[in-house]
Amino acid sequence: MNIVIDGKECRAEHGEYILDVAKRNGIHIPALCHSEALPGQGNCRMCIVEIIDNSRRKIVTSCSYPITKEIEVVTCSEKIKKMRKTIMRLISARAPSSDLIKQLSEEYDLPPETKFKIDKEEKCILCGLCVRACGEVGAHAISTVNRGTIKKVSTPFEETPPECIGCGACAYVCPTGAIEIEEHQGKRTIWNKTFELLKCTGCGDYFMTQEQYEYIKNKKGIAIDGLLCDKCRKKSTGEKLKEALCNVVIKGK
Amino acid sequence: MKIFKSKKKKTVLVCCGTGCLANNSLEIYKELKRKAEISGINVKIRPAVKATGCNGLCEKGPIVKIYPDDIFYCNVKVSDVDEIIDRTIKNDEVIDRLLYLDTSTGKRVKSHKDSKFYGKQTKIVLRNIGEVDPASIEDYIERGGYQALKKALSDLSPGDVISEIKKSGLRGRGGAGYPTGSKWEQCDKANNFPKYVVCNGDEGDPGAFMDRSIMEGDPHSVIEGMLICAYAVRAEQGYAYIRDEYSLAIENMSKAIEQAKKRGFLGSNILNKGFNFDIQIVRGGGAFVCGESTALMSSIEGNVGEPRIKYIHSTERGLWEHPTVLNNVETWANVPVIIDKGAEWFNSIGTERSKGTKVFSLVGKVNNTGLIEVPMGMTLKEIIFDIGGGIPGSKKFKAVQTGGPSGGCIPESLVDLKVDFDSLDEAGSMMGSGGMIVMDEDTCMVEVARYYLNFLSEESCGKCVPCREGIKRMLGIVDGICSGRGQEEDIDLLFELSETIKEASLCGLGKTAPNPVITTIKYFREEYLEHIINKRCPAGTCKELINYYIDEDICKGCGLCQKNCPSGAISGQLKSKYTIDISKCAKCGVCRDVCKFKAVKIKGGVAK
Repeated sequence: MNIVIDGKECRAEHGEYILDVAKRNGIHIPALCHSEALPGQGNCRMCIVEIIDNSRRKIVTSCSYPITKEIEVVTCSEKIKKMRKTIMRLISARAPSSDLIKQLSEEYDLPPETKFKIDKEEKCILCGLCVRACGEVGAHAISTVNRGTIKKVSTPFEETPPECIGCGACAYVCPTGAIEIEEHQGKRTIWNKTFELLKCTGCGDYFMTQEQYEYIKNKKGIAIDGLLCDKCRKKSTGEKLKEALCNVVIKGK
Repeated sequence: MKIFKSKKKKTVLVCCGTGCLANNSLEIYKELKRKAEISGINVKIRPAVKATGCNGLCEKGPIVKIYPDDIFYCNVKVSDVDEIIDRTIKNDEVIDRLLYLDTSTGKRVKSHKDSKFYGKQTKIVLRNIGEVDPASIEDYIERGGYQALKKALSDLSPGDVISEIKKSGLRGRGGAGYPTGSKWEQCDKANNFPKYVVCNGDEGDPGAFMDRSIMEGDPHSVIEGMLICAYAVRAEQGYAYIRDEYSLAIENMSKAIEQAKKRGFLGSNILNKGFNFDIQIVRGGGAFVCGESTALMSSIEGNVGEPRIKYIHSTERGLWEHPTVLNNVETWANVPVIIDKGAEWFNSIGTERSKGTKVFSLVGKVNNTGLIEVPMGMTLKEIIFDIGGGIPGSKKFKAVQTGGPSGGCIPESLVDLKVDFDSLDEAGSMMGSGGMIVMDEDTCMVEVARYYLNFLSEESCGKCVPCREGIKRMLGIVDGICSGRGQEEDIDLLFELSETIKEASLCGLGKTAPNPVITTIKYFREEYLEHIINKRCPAGTCKELINYYIDEDICKGCGLCQKNCPSGAISGQLKSKYTIDISKCAKCGVCRDVCKFKAVKIKGGVAK
């Protein structure tokens, strides 16, 4: 079916999310709690848009609103802009220490915060991506704890999490750099836990924790073909493919 | 002393609702039962003593009713038991001093039906409460219980049941007022099995106890309502989600489920009609947000009680991603009566778009606090002044808060408002689950807004930004106003935040959270401005803006204030004038409460 986003006709599949369709069509909608690898959560509310369905206007989060009929979407009405700015101000007052948030505050033309009390050290906006990513990996080492204003991301009982395999997925998806990950002399420290890193047999760089390797091999039962980092694996796969193709061509001759 | 003649067997009903229980009604029940058995009453007229659910007039509890003579005793004590047995049970005499005193006429009334509190009510949902022993399925059946289920299973098709509920105009009593029949119809159309039927018993509004009283006092009506829905939408499993603090509700619901199973109303092949349905109780962990339907479902599933995105309705994808009908306790209790008496009968009660009755817990600054049920469309005035008996202590009525933290404050000027879903919405409040908190002139409306913001900032699940961060910031601003740090632009900022929180929050909790602030500013802007500009709290409650002092002309020098002051701030000699040392005063107000001469007064001071 076709939907209209900001006046532009866009092709959409039944059940697809507005944000994905917009992205494919080069229409930018801001989002802080969204990762292409994970389902939309609707937590940060920055991706709100107005939809017009049978001349009724409604505000929805584009990351999680599934398209089921031909609707019109307005991503940047005055109302939406005003609300996004208010949301941005709330996020900025919460996590003023994050570089991304600082940059966005400037983009949204926010004056220095004088009204709200701020915690200058805070970087986390509680978008929930880290928890979601950790869950998808299957480790479930971190979670949000408490509710309301004292909600935070934490390990169980705030202790070193036994389930953590040091994969760093949480830090990788974090949009605001709130999760500290340190690598030094073949060791990685995250969530107060230090891991030995394994070297890539191709390039010799450290790339994966021993626990991560064991987890993938034993718990997930995925066969690992040699200890290769991402770059080297791609290279090796490419070479194998090239070889195979050459063989086909030669045989064909 | 009236004497009446009665030869029928007497039934003595002792209210064992939470309010009366707290006032020792269980002891009264045990004592009555014991005395009735040993007092040598002729076996033929030995009374049946029963413990019932809440009668509603909690203010006057413990309550004891005697049938068939229809006698209503209030404020009964254990020491009254002998007299009740000797005079009323044995000798058919009415004990005048235990009867209800109608303050408007100054007369005592024998039957509760003669009082304004009960006379103006229409009991549909509460039809059995206070009349039956909740632990006895026989009592329920005797009053027509499970007849609606029989009727549905024998005479009606699932489609007939749905259309009957649709015709009745019943709207969900949990807060939003969604048409119940339409909800069932959507679930019926979804062709994905198994389906689930859920009862929301996670009542969490401050000051609300409607659902609690229903589950405690008449659990079978909830079960029967769920059964009828399960038959209509073809579900075989039900869940009753009850907050764990409601231990008596859990106990009575559990007993009722067991009894219903034994009687063949729950389980397999119900009433030999090939229909299977079972109910499991899930105890909620005490998070207010779990009253929100999707958070409740997450909680049942064993996940963190956070709301889910619901662009796809729960009737299509609810509990464990399966079609689910979730209704509130009070909605369920309406269902058997509608099926039994018919949609037309139900439809004839109420207003154009709000049918039937609504149960309210009437609390706060009102004489008759308790549980009431009135037809939709009754005015606030009738509820507060006729049923509620007005404001205590000749104080002036100021506002009434409806709908809990999601609702708003309705001012005295709108006292003639007819209460239904739409009129309350128009006034900026909402029906909510039915909490009604009456406020008098001593209530500061800014402080009321602050109270609800504080409640919501703690009870927001914290998942989405507008609700979590927005409420926190609104609370900060209102805190400032209450303590004399408010600025004129604060009101605009409150509105700006409110707009975003209302529109952009994920679930109903956030979407309605600003209501208490918006309505108090709308109707009591002057009071806000008085706090902001003149740093004065007109109601005299915001501690940082007031000071206590003793009026020398009135003080009799009794010393009671000094004796009771916890911070040692009052000095003086007996029979001379006492004074308060402001630097030591904690502004707790005890001195003002204990002074018999009203000599302790409040000065709207300026913040330090």
